[in-house]
Amino acid sequence: MPAAAKPQSSRKVAARSSRTAAKPKPAAKQVAQAALVVGGGVAGMQASLDLANQGFKVYLVEKSPSIGGRMAMLDKTFPTLDCSACILTPRLSEVARHPNIKLLTYTDLEGVIGKVGNFKVRVIKRARYVKEELCAGCGACAKECPVEVPNEFDQGLGFRKAIYVGFPQSTPSTYTIDMESCIKCKRCERACERKAIDLEMEDERVEFDVGAIIIATGYRLFDVRRYYRLGYGRLPDVINAMEYERLINAAGPTQGHLIRLSDGKTPQSIGFVQCVGARDVNKGVPYCSRVCCMYGIKNAVMAKEHNPSTDVTIYYADIRAFGKGFEEFYEMARTRFGVKFLRGRAAEIIEDVRTGKLHLRAEDTETAQPQEFEHDMVVICPGIQPPDDLDKIAEKLGVAMSNDGYVDVVHRYFGPVDTKMPGIFVCGCADGPKDIPDSVTAGSAAAMKASIILAKGGAA
Amino acid sequence: MMTEKAEPRIGVFVCHCGHNIAGVVDVAKVVESAKSLPHVVLSTDHMFMCSDAGQQLIKDRIKEQKLNRVVVASCSPRMHEPTFRRVVEDAGLNRYLFDQVNIREHVSWCHMRQPKEATDKAIDLVRMSVARAAELESLPIKSVSVTPRTLVVGGGIAGLRASLDIADRGFEAVLVERMPELGGHVRKWTHLFPADESGEQIIAPLVRQAEHHKLVRVMKDSEVVEFGGYIGNFTAKIKNHKTGMVKEVDVGTVIVATGFEPFRPFGYYEYGQHPDIITLAELQEMTPRADLIRPSDGKKVKKLAFIGCVGSREAGKLGHEHCSRHCCSAVAKAAADLRDRVDEVVIMYQDIRTYGRGHEELHRLARSKLVIYSKFPKEKKPVVQIANGRIRITWYDVLSGDNLEYEPDLLVLASAMIPPADVAETSKMFSLTRSADGFFNPEHIKLAPLTTHTAGVMIAGAAQAAKNASESVVDASGAAAKAVGLMARGNVEIESTVSHVIPELCSSCHTCVTACPYGAIAMDTKKSPPVALVTEAKCKGCGTCAASCPSSAIIMYHSTDEQILTMVEAYLCPSTQTTGGVA
Repeated sequence: MPAAAKPQSSRKVAARSSRTAAKPKPAAKQVAQAALVVGGGVAGMQASLDLANQGFKVYLVEKSPSIGGRMAMLDKTFPTLDCSACILTPRLSEVARHPNIKLLTYTDLEGVIGKVGNFKVRVIKRARYVKEELCAGCGACAKECPVEVPNEFDQGLGFRKAIYVGFPQSTPSTYTIDMESCIKCKRCERACERKAIDLEMEDERVEFDVGAIIIATGYRLFDVRRYYRLGYGRLPDVINAMEYERLINAAGPTQGHLIRLSDGKTPQSIGFVQCVGARDVNKGVPYCSRVCCMYGIKNAVMAKEHNPSTDVTIYYADIRAFGKGFEEFYEMARTRFGVKFLRGRAAEIIEDVRTGKLHLRAEDTETAQPQEFEHDMVVICPGIQPPDDLDKIAEKLGVAMSNDGYVDVVHRYFGPVDTKMPGIFVCGCADGPKDIPDSVTAGSAAAMKASIILAKGGAA
Repeated sequence: MMTEKAEPRIGVFVCHCGHNIAGVVDVAKVVESAKSLPHVVLSTDHMFMCSDAGQQLIKDRIKEQKLNRVVVASCSPRMHEPTFRRVVEDAGLNRYLFDQVNIREHVSWCHMRQPKEATDKAIDLVRMSVARAAELESLPIKSVSVTPRTLVVGGGIAGLRASLDIADRGFEAVLVERMPELGGHVRKWTHLFPADESGEQIIAPLVRQAEHHKLVRVMKDSEVVEFGGYIGNFTAKIKNHKTGMVKEVDVGTVIVATGFEPFRPFGYYEYGQHPDIITLAELQEMTPRADLIRPSDGKKVKKLAFIGCVGSREAGKLGHEHCSRHCCSAVAKAAADLRDRVDEVVIMYQDIRTYGRGHEELHRLARSKLVIYSKFPKEKKPVVQIANGRIRITWYDVLSGDNLEYEPDLLVLASAMIPPADVAETSKMFSLTRSADGFFNPEHIKLAPLTTHTAGVMIAGAAQAAKNASESVVDASGAAAKAVGLMARGNVEIESTVSHVIPELCSSCHTCVTACPYGAIAMDTKKSPPVALVTEAKCKGCGTCAASCPSSAIIMYHSTDEQILTMVEAYLCPSTQTTGGVA
């Protein structure tokens, strides 16, 4: 029996929803005509837009300084190789500009009380030390700031100032001061013509009422350090896939030049290692992460695009190219781009200290031979896990979780975006790994269900 | 149509797009060269013109410099034209007084290794755009109302869910199903994954709700025979096969949920040559009973075999190149369920794609019940022979390196999901395009998977691509949200970049009527003689009519002859254009 609902509870749900459909409750005036969306990634943005376009007020709460989520960090997207930022940026502007969406970035969910139709939400808007209404995002402050720290958006590969935006399309474009790094030299204050900087700013509590809630908290990548033998964290030329995305990105720390972190040289041979932190019962991640095969292939193709003579090999268990256009893309990677595919999980990566090359040991399961391959760079493709704070958010909202740490849904057929708490819905990777189109679709579906509640007054 | 009387005051904004443009094109040079062009008041650059800061820069300069035309040299207008149109609108200009030059896809990306030539080309393109901008005119912003009713085509699991969501939200849904019963393929299936219910258990409550919901009008045995109109204002004629009656309904939005057909793999693995070789869909539809029996003689099946990817993943074979997505998990579920009733189950596969929530668990469950998985190579598929009434499979097992053979009592072929036989007619009816897999194209494969290029028409479920039933349910709710979004707003804006027939010049030749690929032009019979008339909400502004009109009676708003020719002139005769900006 999979993690989905047990048959007994599902029957209950089916019966309940059919009853509600037959006897819709009269529209209750006390239902707050607003919704809360937690998480401003691609799923949360879609849910917000689909609700706002129906005329409902949406509070979109995002913990980081900008909306955009993980998709904003990606270089290209599979299977069309669209530039991720280019297709995402209009979405960011659309959300920011929408008259029905109240954007609350750099904000944490503090607590929720009440029930379907009438939730009282408290959030904490953390101090940015820059006034949102005054900052025009000109960047004059950052030019003056003398403190440089690793930029989280670039996976720590590039640098940002203590007063910063993570990336140029950051939405809102308001700068943020990272007080842990700030030395209070006040140069930024003097540089800011619009007097937007306020070093005395304090966290602000905001309260509002909503009728429905959508959880869209996304995912985090599996920490591949847990596979000690793969060398990540010890060998500089073993990097993870998100670091690779930033390295090949034109707006990234190397302006899109794919180089080795050890010596700055262009790698002539790259290995991609799949299924790290996915489909591994021993590491507590028994499920398939659903996106790694395709982003791995996409990244392999991008290596060929950057330098067609690069030797590129993907080490895999099964190639799961299941979505629209995916199999065709996989085929193209093999035949047109000449990406090599080897069926076998990488067992160990060691560095040849004399040559600086990496030696990857894997069993070629098609010949049953353990082999050793030489690469200049190895990219580990980590699986997806629930974000760190999802359990805390779930607790605040009172929604049930499944064993693997994702939000549990009522039923895969009768309530695929419904949490077990009426009036609270889930989309994107918060209930399990998903690719971008599936996350967007789920965002729309969650908005649909939330809008039924807002329109009808509490019917779930 | 308004005319701009004021002297053009053009602002040119050149985008670096990070390193994307600036890494190849000398942006400073492009900015500088634009300064001397006629009517150009200002020329400047920014790291990302589409970012909030870039947008603010444009707005500020429009106000400070009293600009009345804006040229942005950046990426393809495909993505950001709406962004910049809104920017100029926010600053008080008509959105059609903006022009975008593509110096990324058309310049920096395709001339990556020739920076000097790329820069020259960017300068040429900007000069042409500036010339065009001076000729641009304001156009009215129009909107049309949306009829608060949705037509849902197809009464399978996706169509049912979409109809119910729309109705629960308070709007009317007209659900058209050509079969006598609602429920589609799912209703017939016994092994649904990852749930433990049968298809009937999943479908029955949905059908019951749909048939009793006062806002859902169910039309069974019926098909859409005629469809016309435009976003917000469609009319469909629906014919009942049994009664022969045709009803007309007005709807504002449409959800196409016409699903798929299981591929019947004649020519593969002796399918059709032996009663005990069946497809996965046929296995699903067998009446559930304590024993699994052979169709040929009714005897109990002891040895059961599955072959995966039948008619899927065949590179170079049109309509069969795609992965059918549902089969791996469906086979795992069926094998795990049936393992208790037979002695042995063997699954021959290429890759095991049990990707979804709960799917890997099914795969693991099947293995724990000692279902045998055997991988065959892509280029060397198993061979099925029939000898003396027995089915014999020989294949190469990749992982052991052995040639194997097996004689199952029942062979199940996991055949592809393909579009229904009449998909071409459906595609024509609703003006939907199709991708290589034969299914309908979404508006954008990543960010707009449920809407299509026909405004107001959505797709859901397997109509969009091979997918499983639980995914179709999510699609359906998502597509319903799109339809409700349009209906709740009550009206939508339409483009003004459409064609217009000048009645005095029209010779009533009908050339444009036949040339228009969108059926947007008809003869206005109220006029004598009848002249061509464009339905603006249906016009896509493609210009085919204007090009074909022998009388030059058709104007393309926003791409007038003057606006095009001035660009050609600016390209060919740059010297006459470089007399300097306005004072």
